[in-house]
Amino acid sequence: MTRRRLALVGAVLLVAACVERLTAPGHCPEFCPSGQITVVDTLLTTSINRDSSVRGYVVSYQSALMLAAHLPGPTDTLDSRPIFRFNGFGLRLRISTADTSTGLILGADSARLQLTIVRRDTAMRNLRLQFYRLPTTIDTTTTFGAVAAPFTDSLVRTINVDTLLAQPGRKDTVTGDSVVVDTLNHRLLLSLKFDTTAARYIGTDSGMVAYGIRIAADTLASIAFGKGTVGPVLQWYLHVDSLGRPVARAPGSLAAALANFVFAPPPAPLDSTLAVGGVPSARSLLRVAFPKFIRDSSQIIRGTLYLVPAVAARGAPADSFVMEARTVLADFGRKSPIDPRLDDPIVIHPGATDTVKIEVTNMLQLWAADSTHPTVFLLRPQAEAQYLGEIRFYPSAALAFRPTLQVTYVKRFPFGVP
Amino acid sequence: MSRADRWTGERAVGIAVVAAALLTASPPVRLSAQDSQFGIRGLGTPGRWESVRSRSSGGAFAPFDPLSPLTEAPLADIGQLTATAAGGTSHRDALVGDTTTKLRATRFPLLVVAGRVAPRLAVAGGFTTYLDRSWDVTLRDSAVLRGTLERYRDEITSDGSVADIRLAAASRLSRRIAIGAGVHILAGSTRMTAERRFDDSTFRTVGQVDEVRYDGFGVSGSVLIGVVPGLTIAGWARADNRLRAKVGDTTSAVTDLPRMAGGGLLFVPSPSVRFAGSAAWRSWSNAGPGAFDTWSWSAGAEFGSGRMPFRLGARGGQLPFGPGTKAPTEFAAAAGTGRAFAQGRAVIDLGVERLERRGGILIERVWTVLVGLTVRP
Repeated sequence: MTRRRLALVGAVLLVAACVERLTAPGHCPEFCPSGQITVVDTLLTTSINRDSSVRGYVVSYQSALMLAAHLPGPTDTLDSRPIFRFNGFGLRLRISTADTSTGLILGADSARLQLTIVRRDTAMRNLRLQFYRLPTTIDTTTTFGAVAAPFTDSLVRTINVDTLLAQPGRKDTVTGDSVVVDTLNHRLLLSLKFDTTAARYIGTDSGMVAYGIRIAADTLASIAFGKGTVGPVLQWYLHVDSLGRPVARAPGSLAAALANFVFAPPPAPLDSTLAVGGVPSARSLLRVAFPKFIRDSSQIIRGTLYLVPAVAARGAPADSFVMEARTVLADFGRKSPIDPRLDDPIVIHPGATDTVKIEVTNMLQLWAADSTHPTVFLLRPQAEAQYLGEIRFYPSAALAFRPTLQVTYVKRFPFGVP
Repeated sequence: MSRADRWTGERAVGIAVVAAALLTASPPVRLSAQDSQFGIRGLGTPGRWESVRSRSSGGAFAPFDPLSPLTEAPLADIGQLTATAAGGTSHRDALVGDTTTKLRATRFPLLVVAGRVAPRLAVAGGFTTYLDRSWDVTLRDSAVLRGTLERYRDEITSDGSVADIRLAAASRLSRRIAIGAGVHILAGSTRMTAERRFDDSTFRTVGQVDEVRYDGFGVSGSVLIGVVPGLTIAGWARADNRLRAKVGDTTSAVTDLPRMAGGGLLFVPSPSVRFAGSAAWRSWSNAGPGAFDTWSWSAGAEFGSGRMPFRLGARGGQLPFGPGTKAPTEFAAAAGTGRAFAQGRAVIDLGVERLERRGGILIERVWTVLVGLTVRP
């Protein structure tokens, strides 16, 4: 037994004896390996070619937001107006949940409209919302001009969001409006009371109702309303005929059947510049002739894409948007499928004309690792059609300002050389 | 099992544990190994082709030791099949200026199996370390990248060695003369890494890894001459062609290897007292710039019976690789003992060596604890 224990202890000690500690500070060049890590930095000025822009990937009704803006410019005013429509209950409504008997909807006592402002500039003051009744025929093809007339003569309500926020409990006891501040998601949930005049229930038109919003503020006004789960919701308070006697009924809330926005002026047509952003959203493709000497025998440690704006980025000052550089899985031009694995984002500030530098190290490393991968950059807004802002860069045809790629790489270490 | 056998076995286990403890323990002055910072810039650190018995006496007995793969002729006197292996743990202090780095490594640098295959012919096979190439160097520096001073930390490592696989044969031509010859296949590999971490994480970490394989070939020959009873001289020579380094299928370097020659003197005035001395020359300057021809010497003694002798010795000489125009030097003192068990069928040898290497601004001080096991089945 003693022998076994001793043998066990001996084995453990022998294993412990094999611990190595070889790390020592180098005193170069005397006591360092002759080979060194060699870093090379190169600017590829002519490697980006065959670049182009395409617009129309995400249009306004496909956007996750409804954009509202009133931005006077030197030559024109960017005016964006949310429009939305609620389908109605038709001519008749069930009177009771106990049976299936229905009564004729006589009209609306009032309605409550809920809206969520999901993006706003907190420095914006005196934000006013003007609600207009729009034709119920609005749809995804409705243009700014098509609803210009109702936006002129069909004002139904005006509210001042800042005044409402200043009310005790953020409730206006006179108008019945209220606002809830969601500090977690940085949202404002507006609950607005529309009286009989503002909320007319016309059963012969199946109860459909459509509204549009114009905004105004003391400074440049630009906000975004939510859609979908945080989109407009309408609660009707109706009078229903019950055996000749009108009774009040509050059927379930209705979500918007259409939520869109229209704006003017429309984006400038695409030219030879590389456009990114706007509504409908524009993307740009940049094809890179990736040098073989970098791809095959080096390790890329940093890559930066330089883009020179051809004009100052457009958009509201507070509406900086994120542009991302991605690569594609296959180069099919405008229909190239995006590689979802990698993206390198950068914030674009409207009005800025500084050269945009995007770190694209991830993508360059991917291209170096997979020689079959298309060497194409795709530039697009991270949130497409959710900002009116747009930036345009000089293309490769503009020799003095063409896109360039700076690559820092490490040559193969001379392993095995004494 | 007889009582005597039990006693012998328990003692053997006990000594093994003590040996392991010696290998493991970290004394106040830290111990060290074969590796050397001097070998980083060259081909590596040459191994010592000595059994623990020889190394405990400074290496002086190596030309006369059949279990040391330095020479072949002593194999002629090996009586029966014998195998030996060695292990060593080294604790090394590398001093550069006021900076001391404590390093530690464990190696198993020797395995020899030898035996007689005919009345006048003995053969041996085994391996030993030809060049040790394990090191890990870190460096803090900076460079201007994209117009900005970027600080970084480099770490370059090499883990592996070049082994000398030897097949040797020896024959005693007469009572006074024995000769031997051997062929040496040099083979091995190192796993090398080069890493650079920038303080600025915008620059990604550089990480390159590769395996470097080495090969080479050599031949050697030796002779033992009994001058008079109790006095023997030995001579040996060896030539290795070149060391080829390959990364993947690409040859990254071909380096000429040295010619070597040496001799020794063994004086045995009585059965329990033995003295030896040896010297060797190696033309390491063949390896290119930064390499030097080396001379080395050793002297040692062994006292006592074969059952439990006491050994001591010293050695000195030059190292083949180092900075500047002069070869680094080294000096070592060693002592050791051994213990035979089971009627001499098993021998455990223990040794300790204190070594100092100097070259340029670097001083290395090394403690090495050695354990050898020899079996004669």
